[in-house]
Order: sequence, then structure tokens, then C-alpha cells
Amino acid sequence: MTVRQQPATSPSRTSAARTERRGAGSGGRRPGPHRSGGSYALFGRLRYAYVSPALLLVAVLLYLPFVWTAWLSLTRYDGLGSPEFIGLDNYTRLFQDEALITSIRNTLLWVAGTTVLPVGLGLLVAVLSYDIKGGPWFRLPFLLPYAMSGAGLALVWGFILQPEGVANQALSFFGMPGGDMSFLNDGPENTFAMLAVWTWQQLGVNMLLFVVGLQSIPRAPIEAARIDGASGWRLFRHVLWPLMRPLTTVVVGLALVASLKTFDIVWVMTQGGPGRTSETLAVTMYRDVFVADEYGYGSAVAVLLTTVTGLASYAYMRRQIGKEDH
Amino acid sequence: MRSTAASAVLRRAVLAGLGLIWLFPTYLILANAFRPAGEYKPSDAIKPSGSFALFDNIAEVWERTDIAQSLFSTMLYALVSPALAVLLGALAGYAIVVLRLRYGFAWFMLIYGGSIFPFQMLLVPLFVGYSKTPLYDTRLGMILIHLAINIPFAALVMRNFYGGVAISIFEAARMDGASTMRVFLRIFLPVSWPALAAVFIFEFTFTWNDLLFGLTLTQSETARPVMTEIAALTTDVYAGTPVPIALAAGLVVSLPTVVLFLATQRLFARGLSIAQL
Repeated sequence: MTVRQQPATSPSRTSAARTERRGAGSGGRRPGPHRSGGSYALFGRLRYAYVSPALLLVAVLLYLPFVWTAWLSLTRYDGLGSPEFIGLDNYTRLFQDEALITSIRNTLLWVAGTTVLPVGLGLLVAVLSYDIKGGPWFRLPFLLPYAMSGAGLALVWGFILQPEGVANQALSFFGMPGGDMSFLNDGPENTFAMLAVWTWQQLGVNMLLFVVGLQSIPRAPIEAARIDGASGWRLFRHVLWPLMRPLTTVVVGLALVASLKTFDIVWVMTQGGPGRTSETLAVTMYRDVFVADEYGYGSAVAVLLTTVTGLASYAYMRRQIGKEDH
Repeated sequence: MRSTAASAVLRRAVLAGLGLIWLFPTYLILANAFRPAGEYKPSDAIKPSGSFALFDNIAEVWERTDIAQSLFSTMLYALVSPALAVLLGALAGYAIVVLRLRYGFAWFMLIYGGSIFPFQMLLVPLFVGYSKTPLYDTRLGMILIHLAINIPFAALVMRNFYGGVAISIFEAARMDGASTMRVFLRIFLPVSWPALAAVFIFEFTFTWNDLLFGLTLTQSETARPVMTEIAALTTDVYAGTPVPIALAAGLVVSLPTVVLFLATQRLFARGLSIAQL
């Protein structure tokens, strides 16, 4: 996740360092204990014991279920009796499923919307509140919603967005259009309405990450730019923004992977409806399994979603590592 | 100089405006959670409540649900699982980065790879697996699954953190003859506590707010987490539960995370910046 400058490696160590880097990960390599040293042999085996609890738990509780799901995706299974092997039929069905196409469209809307709104506005608030008196107080309203649970979120926003609810009342009161709009009843409008809710909840955590990033920027280049007369937009564009780029990549990367898996908010607000218009891939999968009892088909959707998320994650990690290795 | 002052005013104005928009839903929650259950009317939801009935509403929540026991269970899950997760994540990060585990990056990716699975995908296999073992509907079962899903993020942050700790500390300690475990417990764990705390707070919030695993893997009042317990109350709101009661319930269950988040804001920021997130 971090992008860190590699410490300069002396020429005599270069090849050894490179082997180590390839072998032992990429985070902030520094010349360290010698591989061939006597002390190394002593803790050689033990090191695996340190990784294994984490690895074991992840393997048994996360990978094993995935393997089972991958197998189920090749079967027809309603949760009773035993799965019947049908080869790739579920996968060919995927591409003829109208509901799935809507669901892919909505998922893409979520990916685009999440990277632009909560992340973009989070950056805006972080930058605006950077270095002004009372900054933490200005940030407080944005942090409160993050602690709110999905169920609470659904309740409050359900009653804000319901027909003739608070949102309609407020829009009419200010004489704005949309006073008679039903926010959650038509697609894709309901996805946009939920994106607004999501922005309300998630802006805070993105803002916090950017605030942390801004605080860790060295003061010297900012002061130097100020003396040169840069302020406002120009200071941001030419000084802050380039220095924040690595962090921005991280925040966008996290948002990207999370948005591909969007589930909770849709499930608590619309259950993907009405008429499956607001489903995301994760909701479609949940619905196929738990509502329609189509375990095999739902599993195929799960495998599709996991593959996409995995590829996105991998591409993102690769990018980070590419930077670390330069 | 003047333009700077003007821009500071403008920045405050934009922040205050956005902040007010953000506070509005929070105000709605409070206004209506304070309202006596009988006096709620959707058309008057924006108006502040004339009387203070919050505690009556909370008492009603206690009446209608088994919330006390659920709060205890959830507190247990949200404390134990993230605490163990950051510890195991730190140990893995330490082995990979400081002890230079062979193929360390592959091991790391294997652990971190656990984060790509959509949780809903895990539900059926876990339900079946838990049913075949004594884990179904137990607190241990809930702790285990939350532990597993919290490990990848902990490992990610701690690996990055230890990558930034000077290796010379490790070498010096080894010279003095300390075992690798001792070096971990006495040196690496203590220096990383802000990062550990930051990850813990994130994961506490996440575990506290879980609804899905509670729905699928528990049944009895003893093991059921609080979000699952009040879910019926809040989703059936238009059918049965009066809105003020449901909002009071939402307020009660959000309180621990709000308090934790605000109380530790400073530490949180520090922990993350040290971890170079």
C-alpha cells in the first residue's frame, strides 16, 4: 500500500538485494540480517510459524469457501439434495441474463461514482480544511456519519427519500425541481440516490486519509512555494497535489475494490429493487442464492465478481510495487 | 496577503455550507429519536421535537428486543477479533519483512488475497461448514470468521509499517542474544502500537456494524450480534415499529463507534501516518 523510496543499494549488494526483494516482498527493503549468517539458520524454521496462524485462518475460512463456491458454480443445486454437475452451463447463462446486465451497469456506476464522489469530495474537504484555524471542527460533521451502521443508514435515508418524504419536502420548499420525484423507485435513478447516501457516509473516512496524507507532507516545499507567492489553487495544483499523488492512488485503489463489492447499502435500502433495477453484482449473487435458491448460478456470479475484483486488486498492487521497485 | 485572507474566508464558507448539508440527516435522526413515539408524523419530521422522550424510546427498544445480551456479544466480537487480527497480522508482517521470509511477497499476497472475496460469497459455504461442526450459532464461530476477514488488512498495514522500521534495531537486539519472538514482543510490537491501534479502530467499527454474518451464522439470543438483533426493528419500521423507537435503537447501537471514533481521532491520524498508509 505504501509507496516508499528504495534506499540506495551499494553495487556489491545489488544482486543479493534483488534476489531478496523478489523473494521477500517489496516493502522498504533495507540491508538486513545476512541470509547465510549463523543466526539466520536458528530462526529459519520459526519464521514460518509466525506467518502460519494468519495464513491458516485465511486459508480455511476464506479460500476454502471460495474453492467450494467455484465447484458449486459448475453445478445445479437448490440447497437440498446434492449438487448436479452441469459443466459451464451457468457461465453461458450469465451472458444471456438481462438482470445481470443491469447489475453490471449498476456496478460500473458504483465504481465510477465512488471514485469520484466520496473520494473527490473527501479530497476537497481535506484540502479546504488543511492549515486553517478550527480545521478539526470543520471536519467533524463529515466524520459522524461514518460510525453509523447500515441498518441505521437505511432507516434514516429510507425516510428521507421515500415518496413525499423529507427530500421531496425540502426540494419543494426551496422551489427546486424534483419535489415530486420518487428517488428509490426507478432505475438508474435509485442507484444515483444511493450513491448520494453512500457519499454522505463515506466522505469522512476518505477525508481522514487525505488529512493524514497532508499532515505527513514536509513543510519545506509548501513554505518555499508560499514565499514564491503561490497560494490557493496554484499551491494545490503545483505543490500539494504532486506530493499527495501516492496517497491518492492508494485511496482510489481501496475505493475501487470496495465499490466492486458494493452490497450493504443497496441491500438495506432497496434489496436491489424494485424489479431488480438497483442490483449490483454482489446483490445479484446474494439474491440468486438466498432468495431464488439457485446456489449453482449464484456461485457463478460470485466467481465472476471475485475474478474481476481479484484482477483489479492485482493490477493495483502491481502498480504500487512497480513504483516501489524503480 | 489579502487574497490569502479572502480565500480562507471562502474556504470556511464552503466547508460550513457542506458541513450543514452533512449535519442535516444527523439532525433528523436526533430530532425524531427524541420525539415521543405516539407524536411522530412523517409530514412534521423536520420540526424539532417539543418534548424529550429519548429515554422512553430507548426503554422501549430494551422492551422489544434482546438488545442487552446482543450488545455484550457484539462487544466481545468487536474487541477480540480485531485485537487478535492485528496481533497475527503484525506477527506475519514481522516475519515477512524483518525476518525476510523466503518468498515473503508471495506469502503476503496469499494472506492479503483473502480480502478480494465478496463476503456474501462466503455465506453458504460457511453456513454449511459451521453446521457440520459445533461452530454454528456460537460466539467462538463468530469470533473466528471476524478474525479471518480482519487479518488481510492488518497484515497489509503492519507489513508496510515494519518495512519502515530501521532494521538495525533488530540486528542490535539479536546481537544481545534475544530470540526473534522476544524481539517481536519487546521491540517491534511496542513501537508499532499507534498503527496497531489505528487498524484496531477501523476493524472494531467494521465488526461492530456487521449484519450479514450475524444473519447467517447465528440463531440464538446468546450469539446474535446487535445489528442483526435490531435489523427487524428497523427494516419493519413502516409496518410495525414507530420511527422514533427504531431511530433510538439506531442511536444506541451507533454510540460506541461514534465515541470511539471521535475520542481517538488524533491517535487514528497519527497511527495511519506512521504506517504510511
